[in-house]
Amino acid sequence: MSAYIEFRNVAKAFSGKAVLRGMNLAIDKGEVMFIIGTSGVGKSVTIKHLIGLLRIDAGEIWFDGARVDQLPERSLAPLRKRIGMVFQSSTLFDSMTLAENVALPLRKHGKLSHKDALVEARKRLAQVYMDDYADRFPAELSDGMRKRAAIARTLALAPDVVLFDEPTTGLDPVSARRVDRLIRELADTLGVTAVVVSHDPPSIFGIADRVAFLYQGIVHVVATPDALRASADPIVQQFITGQSSGPMETPGF
Amino acid sequence: MSYFRTRIEAIGGAVLGTSRAALELWLVYVGTIAGIVRGFSRRHGGRGRPKGELVRQLHAIGNRSLVFIIVTLGFIGMVMTYQACLQLGRVTGDYSQVGSQFLRLLISDFGPTLSGMMLATRVGAGIAAEIGSMKVTEQIDALRMSGVLPIDYLIVPRFIACVVMTLMLTVLGSMVMYAAGGLTAQYSFGVNPSTFYDLSFVRGRHLVLFVVKALAYGAAIPVVAGFCGLRARGSSEGVGWATTAAVIGSSFAVIVLDFIISAVALFLADGDL
Amino acid sequence: MIGEKTIANIGGGAVSIAQHVGGIVVLTGQVLRALIPPRIDGRELVKNLHKMGNRSVPIVALTALFAGGLMMLQSGPFVKKLGATGLAGWAAGYAVLREIGPILIALMFSGRVGANNTAELSTMTVTEQLDGLRALAIDPVKFLVVPRVIAMMVMLVALTVIGDLVALVGATVVGSALLEIDASTMYHSFADNLKPYDFLHGISKSVAFGAAIAMSSCYFGVTVRGGAVGVGRAVNAAVVAAAVSIMLLDFFITYLAG
Repeated sequence: MSAYIEFRNVAKAFSGKAVLRGMNLAIDKGEVMFIIGTSGVGKSVTIKHLIGLLRIDAGEIWFDGARVDQLPERSLAPLRKRIGMVFQSSTLFDSMTLAENVALPLRKHGKLSHKDALVEARKRLAQVYMDDYADRFPAELSDGMRKRAAIARTLALAPDVVLFDEPTTGLDPVSARRVDRLIRELADTLGVTAVVVSHDPPSIFGIADRVAFLYQGIVHVVATPDALRASADPIVQQFITGQSSGPMETPGF
Repeated sequence: MSYFRTRIEAIGGAVLGTSRAALELWLVYVGTIAGIVRGFSRRHGGRGRPKGELVRQLHAIGNRSLVFIIVTLGFIGMVMTYQACLQLGRVTGDYSQVGSQFLRLLISDFGPTLSGMMLATRVGAGIAAEIGSMKVTEQIDALRMSGVLPIDYLIVPRFIACVVMTLMLTVLGSMVMYAAGGLTAQYSFGVNPSTFYDLSFVRGRHLVLFVVKALAYGAAIPVVAGFCGLRARGSSEGVGWATTAAVIGSSFAVIVLDFIISAVALFLADGDL
Repeated sequence: MIGEKTIANIGGGAVSIAQHVGGIVVLTGQVLRALIPPRIDGRELVKNLHKMGNRSVPIVALTALFAGGLMMLQSGPFVKKLGATGLAGWAAGYAVLREIGPILIALMFSGRVGANNTAELSTMTVTEQLDGLRALAIDPVKFLVVPRVIAMMVMLVALTVIGDLVALVGATVVGSALLEIDASTMYHSFADNLKPYDFLHGISKSVAFGAAIAMSSCYFGVTVRGGAVGVGRAVNAAVVAAAVSIMLLDFFITYLAG
């Protein structure tokens, strides 16, 4: 039985420097998969490949039984409606209110009129507890609020999969846990498959079903959080306990 | 009534804002001159100004604008001559004066002004972008904290380089325009080169205008652009706005200075240009 | 050796110019393809028309006023000396309609609107908002670039028309205030000597300039790289590219249209 999302021997290099070297990962439907590793190891790069924001050099990427890495830009629209992404910088559009931001995909793809789209948008914002701020502009809000609004926008098209690029990085602990809870709710109540790039231990051990540890361009190990914590692998231990010295090679230090 | 009130408030606000900006701009200018004087009175460059900076600025402004000026002014020269000949052909059919009048206009106005406008775009944007990104990445604050005046370090070298280079580039650009004009007249309208390249109408006053304008533009551009750069706020957005403002501000300054200098010259020469 | 390094610089410069020109052509192709069939985001179009028009009217009007006055300063004394005051408006007016109006207004527009647009687009690119659009299966070219290109072209033509008129007014004002040529003489010399074709000649240039400014501005905006410094460089490149294109296009149109 093949997995819902699968990376097979994926390789990618930037300016001659290899980042992913034959990476393999299988993600099941409905699970919350965390991708962790040190900075610069290729975590964000991995998920960007899934929706074609970057192109792989070699290997295959499969989604729901179909190969997707070779699709031309024009044909990526259906894929992107099924797989949404929440970026690290939230990427809300500065010139629109939150409601207008969330309404945008609804207008474009849901064929709703502007007024109807705004009504729908407020409902989505309510789902992430942000409906009170629907008429504010992104610049007026804190990072945590912007992140939740961005999630609402991504959910507007009811995707099957949502990719999160470091959702809790830079947030205060309270906001971070709120975002974690949201992600868990998505998976549990809506059946959304979540792929989360993170290096935030409370998130990793709080909500992940499984964790993929990326190291030196491949997936070093895939395991449940508990199994990871109990692992005898010295490299894994160094990362989890956050030691600066150990068997791990960190480029640039 | 409240409609008028809001309007008047808006106008008042705009006037105040503009006046404040004008005052700050003037202060930058004065500060620059003061910086130059300071530089001369302390023989080797003064505290904080690296010796190579002036040369680097000369290179940045001069060399890198060279091709740009040659290309743009060459094309304008061709177009202007073409238009003039076309119109003369319609009215009098006599091309004997084209070259001399073109030269007169070139020296007293178009040469410096068009070079000035082009440089306002290229150099103005460059200066504002550089200084703007430095401001936004807090390098200017770092300078202040190590006891260096930003005006001394950043604007003065650019000011001197720009004044010098504008004059040189204007001379070069004008020559290119003149040559291009002659070629156009020759190949499109059959005007004899010796008829076109006629210097007899050029007088001392035209050359004075040329130099005065070139120097004025060369002084205005770095001051306006540097001012806009120093005022940049925020992040990348702020740099964008600063560069935009610099381009408009310097271009507009060139036009206004052109008008003022030309009007004054006309007045002084009693209508005889 | 000076020679080698200079040649290497020139060569490198030429290559990057070629790359940019190629990139702009590709973007232009994408914009054109998005126009057939024309499915443009109406709200974005209106928003941009509003923004670009509003912002530039004052500066363009002022520039045109000064430019018209300048033309009068240059040609007026000459005409007066010849006693041909009937032609006073002609020389200034002709230059304004055909050349000075379109070029100067285009340059100002490039500075005010083009640079601003590049700043906006490059900030959006640097903050991943363009990727955000792609991730929502919205094509940034269709959604952002096309409305801006159309808005810029329309606005520049409108502004040139207004600017031409204002410049003629400026010329008249200078004529009567500084050169003792009264307004009615000016008006008659305009009416008698300036032909509709002169006006159209200038407007057709505005269309071309508008396209050049729009494409250059959008291209450098969406291809920016590298944070605050990159944004500054993108704006710089956009204005310079626009200025060069304006001069080149002016040349070609003048020769082709006569």
